[in-house]
Amino acid sequence: MLTPEPAMSEEGPVDTRTAICLLQRRFTARLLPQLRLLVEECAVREGLAEPRRGEFVLAVDEIAGNAVEHAGGSGRLVLRRVGDELECRISDSGPGFSETVIPELLPGLDGAHNGRGLWLARLVADRFAVRAGADGASGARGAEVTLAVRVR
Amino acid sequence: MPSWEVPGDHLIPVQHMRPGDHAFVSYDDDEVRWEVVTAFVRLGLAQGEKVILFPDPWLPESEVLARLDFTGRSTVTARERGQLVLSSMRGLIRPDVRFTPERQLGRLSAETARAADEGFTGLRSFIDMRWVPDLHADVRVMMHRETHADALFEGRPYSEICAYDRRWFDREVLYAMDRAHPRSLVERLGTLRTVRGADGSLCFVGEADAGARADFTVALELALSGSAGARRLTVDLTRLHFLSVGCAATLLALAERAAGHDAVEVRCHHPQARTLQRLGADSVSRLFVTEVVRPC
Repeated sequence: MLTPEPAMSEEGPVDTRTAICLLQRRFTARLLPQLRLLVEECAVREGLAEPRRGEFVLAVDEIAGNAVEHAGGSGRLVLRRVGDELECRISDSGPGFSETVIPELLPGLDGAHNGRGLWLARLVADRFAVRAGADGASGARGAEVTLAVRVR
Repeated sequence: MPSWEVPGDHLIPVQHMRPGDHAFVSYDDDEVRWEVVTAFVRLGLAQGEKVILFPDPWLPESEVLARLDFTGRSTVTARERGQLVLSSMRGLIRPDVRFTPERQLGRLSAETARAADEGFTGLRSFIDMRWVPDLHADVRVMMHRETHADALFEGRPYSEICAYDRRWFDREVLYAMDRAHPRSLVERLGTLRTVRGADGSLCFVGEADAGARADFTVALELALSGSAGARRLTVDLTRLHFLSVGCAATLLALAERAAGHDAVEVRCHHPQARTLQRLGADSVSRLFVTEVVRPC
């Protein structure tokens, strides 16, 4: 049996699975507790069980918190059901970053805490990617982090 | 320091509400009061429970619905299929017009049975206690109801939040009602409270997120300092709904540096234990993580 060639774009394979948008929110630091609630609610509805549900909410919060802290105090979240995955995309309009800033190994307990949240987010994800965002009005490219976990 | 502080021994975050729970919450802010109710309603609907809402009778229904649906028209389907019902205490006891505890408890018990018959996994109700002045009910009779409602909850798929407006109820009534309920709720989402357990343990309640990290750190440092003589400290995370990576790392780092302690025991649920272990808990020799099974 032949495996069909995946559709391609300049940025790699195109995901042709059906996507259902569950949630779209802009957020600031003040709205992070509400954002966690809404993501948890969607995860419950989609059947993501504990402990994966808690890990997913934790990972989303760490990425959103990173956007708030390092990318101008706000960001945008889009949560979708894509096939058997729950996928979260968080974008910001900060200076942008690449996946290379995330430490390969768990940072030690002494010293700076930078990168530990993103390190854990990548660890718990079934799919994780960082890419440059679209050019904003200010000229900053921003970043878009995609995090997905399999629901079943 | 908030003007309203309760002892906290039965304090939990609203996200931890389970069937069989009967909880007290109070508010004195017309914005803040929506945080607990929206969390309770939305999580209940997501879990397949039926939800009956008894809001402040002086609020228009349109405002209540707008508050619940702040993300869009997301509860419309639930209302259409009868999973979410907006009611009132007047409606619940109708055709009677006078409140009696027996009448109200009987109607709520019947609603619990009906929810099961309709195929829902349980029933949760949110009751804004401003129905008391609306029905000209005797506060003492209402207090009697609150302290004699166990049959409604024991072994039954029913949970209830009773919300008291601190601008209307006397402080003595509020204190008594807080004590009368088996559970008391953290008033706001994203709040971290620190209480001391009867065994001297340090208990964190609510959400230890990035915004709470400074308070989390200070509370831990003080508890470690205060337990230096005993050379051991128990940190209870079982009433935390959210433990951020930053707070978890702080806990591990402070335990690692607590050279004067023989043991720092952390009691927590499985997800928090996984987070701590992923962040290196096994490398902290004096740290002992004890997993506590959360009731379903």
